[in-house]
Amino acid sequence: MSENMEHSYAFFLGCIAPNRYPGCEASAIRTSAKVGIELLPLKGGSCCPAPGAFGSIDLNVWYAMAARNLCLAEEMKKDITLICNGCYKSIWEVNHKLKHNDELRDGVNEVLAEIDMEYKGSIDVWHLAELYYDEKICGVKKIADSVTRPLTGTKVAVHYGCHLMKPGKERHFGDTENPMWIDELVEALGAEAVQYRNKMQCCGAGGGVRGYDILHSLDITNEKLINLQEVGADALTEVCPFCQLQYDRGQVEISENFGKVYNLPVLHYNELLGLAQGMTPQELALDLHAIDCKPFLEKIL
Amino acid sequence: MAVEKNYGNSELENKLRDRYYYTSDSSKDFSDEVRKISGTISHMCYQCGTCTGSCPSAPRSSYRIRVFMRRAVLGLEDEALMDPDLWLCTTCYSCTDRCPRDIAPTDVIMAMRNLAFRKDIGPRNFLKTVQLIYSSGHGVPNNDVNRAAREKLGLPRDPPTTHSYPEFMPGIRKIIDHYGLKEQADKLLSEE
Repeated sequence: MSENMEHSYAFFLGCIAPNRYPGCEASAIRTSAKVGIELLPLKGGSCCPAPGAFGSIDLNVWYAMAARNLCLAEEMKKDITLICNGCYKSIWEVNHKLKHNDELRDGVNEVLAEIDMEYKGSIDVWHLAELYYDEKICGVKKIADSVTRPLTGTKVAVHYGCHLMKPGKERHFGDTENPMWIDELVEALGAEAVQYRNKMQCCGAGGGVRGYDILHSLDITNEKLINLQEVGADALTEVCPFCQLQYDRGQVEISENFGKVYNLPVLHYNELLGLAQGMTPQELALDLHAIDCKPFLEKIL
Repeated sequence: MAVEKNYGNSELENKLRDRYYYTSDSSKDFSDEVRKISGTISHMCYQCGTCTGSCPSAPRSSYRIRVFMRRAVLGLEDEALMDPDLWLCTTCYSCTDRCPRDIAPTDVIMAMRNLAFRKDIGPRNFLKTVQLIYSSGHGVPNNDVNRAAREKLGLPRDPPTTHSYPEFMPGIRKIIDHYGLKEQADKLLSEE
């Protein structure tokens, strides 16, 4: 463990963050370091694998593939942290299921034995946002204290996404109808966390629907964008690169297919935190975003 | 109601058969399989409709999660697996979150999709993900534009995943092959 780092985790990257929005990866590492959380590379990690597409074909292979990723962190003797709700669904949930279901674990270990691996159930899995919120690890105050460029005067809406908190009875995040904990993390940056209708509605991308019926998927996204526009949000923040892709590239697709234009900047919470900690748009690769973040940046830079 | 009463009189059995719950196309095995794979008490649904009322896909299509729940209860296998609406669930888990019987309708859909793929029924985009993961370890692999952007950020051109450590790929392929998934994807995608 490096100096000044109180906590260190194996950083599970997934696919969309490192391969489409590398600013999410870069900012996660740098912003976490500033609040005493060290993110270590999880060498040889793969796709979580995609819970919608992969799980739909055969849940057993989804369990086994996710377990392989868990084994890599077990070998490091580190808990996993990650920045994507889809990854959370696979990695957290499979870890949880295998810890509590011996029959399932034995089945998975039979397959893993073929590649000389064994799932032991020796680590836990956390979303980075929940670590930020956790007083024992970081907490809202520490996040606020790390801010050097407050996002004062901006209205930022939060999209919580689905697979982090739902189904509520199998998770540990409390209220899933009108949660406020990420809103608190946003207000810690000096922005106003703006409330909007149907906040917990899905972005529309999941379950393989984005690939299966893109118009259906975009129509869900469009409904969210209508509700976000209604309250005058300057930006949308989320904790899931797949939701980010759906809102960001989705706005281009919505304009092409439905003729509706919103130009709402979409920023992962780590990108937003990066901006508030003084990172430049270049250091966040915001030019890779399909929707120009400039109107938002002009309010804070 | 018992399906078999063993009265030893086929005429009587037929007269008193439960025609409403056990239609000729219903399969108890299907109900049981859905229950087993989903790990949820799918047979306990009392059709309140909270699921459909919570569903983001319902207001823009003919997809009704409550209908699929009824099919699970009644064992209407063909009706469930042949319906293209099966693939419109975004798996947002709102229905599961709100179900007053603590059933997970989302997991019922996942179980039905698994059973559909066992019969080689399923959309192509799902299978393409299998091929991508089989070749690179990633469902969304890296590309040159992104490599250049990563470099500018001070990140390695390829992330420290299977992209940088291809020695992990044979293990991943072995897992996928154990379930015959790549073979199935190649076969189905080569059709048409």
